[in-house]
Amino acid sequence: MNPTMMNSTSTQFVPSRRMGIYEPIHQMSMWGDFKGNNCLDASTPMILEVDPKLDNQSEDTSHGTVGHSNKYDQEASKPPDKVLRRLAQNREAARKSRLRKKAYVQQLESSKLRLIQLEQELGRARQQGMYTGSALDASPLSYAGSMNPGIATFELEYGHWVEEQDRQLADLRNALQSTETGDVELRIFVDGGLRHYCDLFKMKATAAKTDVFYLMSGMWKTSGERFFFWIGGFRPSELLKVLLPHLEPLTEQQRLDLGNLAQSCQQAEDALSQGMDRLHQILGAAIAKQLGEGNYLPQVGAAIEKLDDLARFVGQADHLRQETLQQISRILTTRQAARGLLALGEYFQRLRALSSLWSSRPRESS
Amino acid sequence: MQKALHYRNLLPSSAGGSAIPPPGDNQSGSVNLRKLVADNAVVVFARKGCCMCHVVKLLLNGHGVNPTVVDVDDHNEGDVTDQLSRIVGAAPQFPAVFVGGELFGGLEQVMGAHISGELVPRLREARALWL
Repeated sequence: MNPTMMNSTSTQFVPSRRMGIYEPIHQMSMWGDFKGNNCLDASTPMILEVDPKLDNQSEDTSHGTVGHSNKYDQEASKPPDKVLRRLAQNREAARKSRLRKKAYVQQLESSKLRLIQLEQELGRARQQGMYTGSALDASPLSYAGSMNPGIATFELEYGHWVEEQDRQLADLRNALQSTETGDVELRIFVDGGLRHYCDLFKMKATAAKTDVFYLMSGMWKTSGERFFFWIGGFRPSELLKVLLPHLEPLTEQQRLDLGNLAQSCQQAEDALSQGMDRLHQILGAAIAKQLGEGNYLPQVGAAIEKLDDLARFVGQADHLRQETLQQISRILTTRQAARGLLALGEYFQRLRALSSLWSSRPRESS
Repeated sequence: MQKALHYRNLLPSSAGGSAIPPPGDNQSGSVNLRKLVADNAVVVFARKGCCMCHVVKLLLNGHGVNPTVVDVDDHNEGDVTDQLSRIVGAAPQFPAVFVGGELFGGLEQVMGAHISGELVPRLREARALWL
């Protein structure tokens, strides 16, 4: 026994186990359970590190009745008033110990309830598709707070879209690598691939009606993709730059057509960007009208009307993306278009992989 | 530099003769839009301050086109919508772009034609381009 590890309020000898007898048995066993493996060590008093406030953990259930007879012998030889004083102190110490234990147990109970609650929420959020297919991303659950069912649906569908995209790309890669694949079969792949992008644009249009800010934020994409974000998605001119080297060999006419397309894309993007800047200004001005009066409803109400315009902008940007993809496929041969689609798909896969790797890299200890 | 027409200040034009106002179009201060779109190669009808309209104008300007812009506001919206509906056969969405007297469409159609390369030939046909 190591007296120095005892509670400071106790005296030279171990707090009497007699106190234990007055406690309801189930409490003692719970308390004992908490010490886990330490229970088995009869001689070493335990100090539970979990809660430093509760410093009287040193009681050991297995002390049991062993110490009893020793105490009686010791007490019989001491002066009565000292004995009485010590008994009183023991009672006090034990009482305090019981109170602390009670508080600790209550704390544990409420933590347990909280944990159950969190697990339920997590389960629900997972079901609703917060966890998208592409996620090893840093913040897949960032929107869990105020869930909008339209957005939850969108995230779920987007997860499926990415999975389907990966499948289509794998099939396309196999088809292109095989020497037996003819143009007819490739055409099916190309049309299917373009249609798949169209499906995404339709999903986004529906989601924009529920929450256009969410679409503009790009939170449904990985962080790497967000870096290259422009009005709710990828930049069409960027797309062309990525694809061009992989489409060779090109005829002169194709080169010319693609050059014109690149220029038209750039012009359209610039026009839309300037329109967005305008919308920024108008929206900002609407919100900033007559500040300082405390009332905000008229200004915010007027601003909300402008958000319809924002949704239309995202729609126009998606439309530009769609038109660009269609035009590329018109300019190219079937085989070139198939290679282009594969290159494009892999480009986005790499961006998603970049995000995963980045967010799961080992952190240096500071 | 486009000509932004302030609707209420326009007087019905009878220059050059033969424009016959369509029936029911005799309210004072009302502009004959049918004539307007016929006389001007490119006409854009848009709500004032509409950002989409801004984009349409930028796209057209990029081709060297100075469209005639008609500002639609609360006062004239009803009349404009009526007249355009009669010309087109259905209520138009703003911004509405007319090329060569015909409804070309909205921003989406202009953008689509711009990307596909169809816009320039149409503009040329309507004599909107100098070259």
